Order: sequence, then C-alpha cells, then structure tokens
Amino acid sequence: MTILTLLRRFGTLIGFVVIVCYFWAQLPDTFMTARNWLNITQQLSMLIVVAAGMTIVMVMNDFDLSVGSMASLSGIVAAMLFSFGYPIWLAVGIALLVGLLGGLFNGVLVGLIGILPFVATLATLTMFSGAAFVVSGGKTISGRVIPEAFGNFARQGIEIGPLTVPNLTIVALAVVALVWVLLEQTTFGRRLYAIGGNLEAAHLSGVPVRRFKLIAFSLTGLSAALAGLLYASRVASANPTQGSGLMLNAIAAVFLGMTMSGQGEPRVLATVLGVLILGVLDNGLTQMAVDSYVRQILVGAIILIAVSFSSISKAKRS
Amino acid sequence: MLKRILRSMAFVAVAAAATLTASAALAAKVAVITPYLAQPGTQFYVEAFQGVAGDKGWDVNVIDTQGDVAAVISRIEDMVTQNVDAIVINVDPAQVQAGLQVAADAGIPVFGMDAGADPLLVTNVTSNGYQMAAETSTYVADRIGGTGNVVMFIFDAFPPVQVRGVIARAVFGNYPDITILDQVTPDVSDGGIADSRAKMEAILAANPEPGSIAAVWAAWDQPALGALQAIADAGRSDEGIVITGIDANPQARDEIAKGGNFEASVAQDFHGIGAATADAVARVLDGETIKQRVIYVPTKLITVANAGE
Repeated sequence: MTILTLLRRFGTLIGFVVIVCYFWAQLPDTFMTARNWLNITQQLSMLIVVAAGMTIVMVMNDFDLSVGSMASLSGIVAAMLFSFGYPIWLAVGIALLVGLLGGLFNGVLVGLIGILPFVATLATLTMFSGAAFVVSGGKTISGRVIPEAFGNFARQGIEIGPLTVPNLTIVALAVVALVWVLLEQTTFGRRLYAIGGNLEAAHLSGVPVRRFKLIAFSLTGLSAALAGLLYASRVASANPTQGSGLMLNAIAAVFLGMTMSGQGEPRVLATVLGVLILGVLDNGLTQMAVDSYVRQILVGAIILIAVSFSSISKAKRS
Repeated sequence: MLKRILRSMAFVAVAAAATLTASAALAAKVAVITPYLAQPGTQFYVEAFQGVAGDKGWDVNVIDTQGDVAAVISRIEDMVTQNVDAIVINVDPAQVQAGLQVAADAGIPVFGMDAGADPLLVTNVTSNGYQMAAETSTYVADRIGGTGNVVMFIFDAFPPVQVRGVIARAVFGNYPDITILDQVTPDVSDGGIADSRAKMEAILAANPEPGSIAAVWAAWDQPALGALQAIADAGRSDEGIVITGIDANPQARDEIAKGGNFEASVAQDFHGIGAATADAVARVLDGETIKQRVIYVPTKLITVANAGE
C-alpha cells in the first residue's frame, strides 16, 4: 500500500481523529469526557437513524430526498393520535406504518414506474411535508396532549455503572446494528451491493431488482419515521417542519462515509463515522464558541476535501 | 534609545495581554440560543442583549440552530458541559424541557427572552399581551366615542393572541353602547391577510348601511390589513371605519402612516426585551433572586404621529 492509497482509504478517518484531537487539546476539561460523548451520541441519534436508512438506498446508487419530511410527518401523525387519546404504542406503531408505506410509495415510483429517484423523492418530499401541514393544521402540537412517558423516553436511559446511556443512543445503536446485519451479513445485502455495482448485470443474473427497490425504499422510509418519533420525543412536541434539517445531513454523512470504503460504496459503519464527524464539529465548535454559520462552511469544506482526496487518488490510479 | 522604546513597548504589550487574559478569565460566560435568529425581532433582541453584555464585559456566545428545536436542546447540553454562567433561550420552553432539566441539574440559570413562562426558567422577559390589547381597544372605544358596532378578529387557538381578545372583549363590554358585531377567527394558513379580507367582505355585504360598522379591532396586524383592503375595495373608505392591529409590522406601519382607516397598532420594544433580559441575567449573576416569573417590557402605541419612526 502506498501512502496515497492509505490516505485515500483512511484519509477521512485520519481527519476525524485530527478533529477529535484538536477539540481535546482546545477543550481539555470538557470535550473528552464520557458525559460529553454520551451527549454527542444522544444529539446525533436521530441523524444516525436517518443516515443508516439512507445508506440502504444509496447502496443501490439511489437516494431519498423525502426522509426529512417523512420524519416531520411521522412525528405529527403520532402527536395527533396522542391528542385523540390513542395509547403510545398504537400511535407510534401507526406513525411507523406511515413511514413504511411512504417509503414503499417511493419504491413504487422509482422501482416500478422507473422515475429517477431525485425527481420521485423530490415530489414525495413536498407531498409528505404538505401532508404534515394538513394533518396538523400547520400548528406545533405540544403541551398536555403529548403523554409524559413519550417525552420522558428521550430524557431517560439505562444506567451502566456511574453513567446513564440515553435511550436515544441505544435506539440509534440498535438501528445501526440491524442495518449492518442486513447489508453485510445477508444475501439481501450482498444483492443490494450487486445492484449498486452494476444494475444490468444484477438484473441479468436474476436479482429481482424491482422487489429489492421496493423493500429498500420502504426500510428507508421506516427509519425516517423512527427518527421523526425520536425527534418528537426529544422536544416533547411535533411541528410540521421539524425533520427538514435531517435530509441533507444524512446524505452528507453517507458521502463522507463512502470516501472510506474500498470501491467508494456506502457502508453503514462508515456512515456512522460520517455522522460523528458532523456531530463532533457541532459539539466542539459550539463549546469553543465558534459562530454557527462558520460551522456550516467548515462542514461543506470537509466534505469537499474528503471527496477530493478519494477522487484524486482514483484518477492517479487509472 | 530605540532599544528602550522597544523594551517599554514590549512591556506595555505584555501588561495589556496579561490584563486581557485576566479579564477574560473573570468574564461571565453567557450563551444565547435560538432557532429564530433570522427573524427581524430576534435580531433586535440579540443585538440589544449584546450591547448590555458588552458593557458588562461578558463573553457572549450566540448560537443559531436555524429552525431546529431539537438542536436547541443539544446546544444547551453543550453549554452545560462548558459550564457557562447563564443561558438565554428564545424558544418555547415546553419544547426544550429536556435541555432545561439538564441545565437545572447543573445549577445553571436559564432565562427566557420572549420565550414563554416555565418553572425551569429563572424568568421570562416579554411584552404584555394584555397591555397591548388594552392600548388598541381603548383607542378604538375612545375614537368612536363609546358607541357603535365593532368587528373583532381574534385567534384563540394561539395563547399569546388569545389573551389579547380577552382584554378587548372586556373593554368593549364595559361600554353599553358598543356592540360586538362579530368575532372572526380567520384562516391563517396563507398568512391571514387574504382570508381576513374575504371574511370582512362578507361582513361588509351583510351590513351595507354607512356607519353600520364603526370599527375593526384585530388581535394582530394581518387581519387589520385584510379588513383595510376589503373596506377600500367595497368603496367604503370614507365612512370613517377605524381599524387597529397589534405588532406594528412594517406593512402596518406604512398603512398607518398614510393616515387612512388603519389608525393604530402597538409595537413591541424588541431592544427593550433584549436589554431587560441582560439586566435580569446581571442581577442573578450578582447573587440576586428574581421573584417575577415574567418581566414585562412596556410597549408603544403606533399612530400616524409616530408610524414613520
């Protein structure tokens, strides 16, 4: 392995370590503490869930722009059902079902009808967002209609020794584990990668591409809905736009992760590292009192640097 | 000679640096966290807050989460990790309870800057909705000489606006010759102007006699603007129908300045709210306990006399 291939393969990882070390040096007392890292994972839990789901469709070279508005919609659906007096498990179940069906709808548009994912999910982005506004009447649903236990879920955790691991962190880790098993340990996952590698070849070798797209988009929708519920629990309320920031960050995280894999394909653990880079920047720069707008510029620059590294070294190889 | 000058300059520089570091070490660290920094009102609060904070030598960190309420919780957690001396929020406290609890557990005081009252906030600094409604409803009652039919535009689903309606009803109810002709809740999904206009057109059609409507009292500016358009469109601008709004947004100020039917609105003192929040923070940092759960900052009636200011 030459230095260049090392950089290409591990450049983003090295970058992450550099960022962490920098914050550690700048914030010696507060950054590298168990408490702060648990905070970061809790803060990132929603993005991790969305990004893990996004990884599934991006493995097939597709992507889903509607995840943010699906997250908003699922939160709104659950909150409205709470206001009608539904028990938590049922309201949450129905909200997740909405996510699954919304994702399936995306899958039909992309897999069966054959619309480009950019166009199809751009259209469903506005549809889901509109539905969230219609269902909620444009209002933020908060206060007494949200069951206390639902809001408490995001505030509590499991005590392990002196530390409390937040419930949100545990859910995020569970989702990552499930997606990892699905993508890396099953035939289904390997075939998804086959579709991403060469759609025609996969089709000709008998992979049921359409069915795979339906399932993959459904799972992405489901994870978006789950993220929306985590968000709603964290803020103990639901607002028709609250998930909108998740989509671009999720795609950014997957792209950051893709720079770390051999063939430039998405891997869910790499996606998690991508999310961590974004979240650590947020946490560290906030603690250092750096302007929140500067952080946005930095994030964009870091994505460009990471992707440039892998592109340049690829070009040299060919 | 040159050496000596250089040496004394170096000494001054070192001394200055030392003073700076010392004052930085002593400076109170205050974080202002809001999802709404892009909104004009919020910018005014924050500027005024920073003005006072600058005088006090605080180290202020303004954090904008750009509409993301969950991120407000995250940033509160980060600020608690940093062990700041005080946190100021400008968001519905009910939605950031998780963060407020973390701050409370760490003993860090959190202040609301037009945020809403909450047991976990030291205090909330805002305008008094009751007072704003009293200003405009008494303006209407005085202006029509305590007699005539009044149309009210209200919005009881939104608590800060609901309190305004309560006061206006009480004021009008106290005049035996004032009749509340209708209490309209407009559809606000398009901003409130268009639907208020449609509702007002219907009311005008139902009351065609000149003088049958003496005034329109609106709980905020958009319905007042809609009513103004409806009255102009119906060719009834010269009947002397008095219109008032609340908030004094730029469009309302323009109309008031023209000297037409839209006669008055009430402006919140955004600078005053920012400065008063900083004062509240200063009091608590000095060890005082603030008993007031809400601190009200006076508002200002806007009429043709001062609409252009």
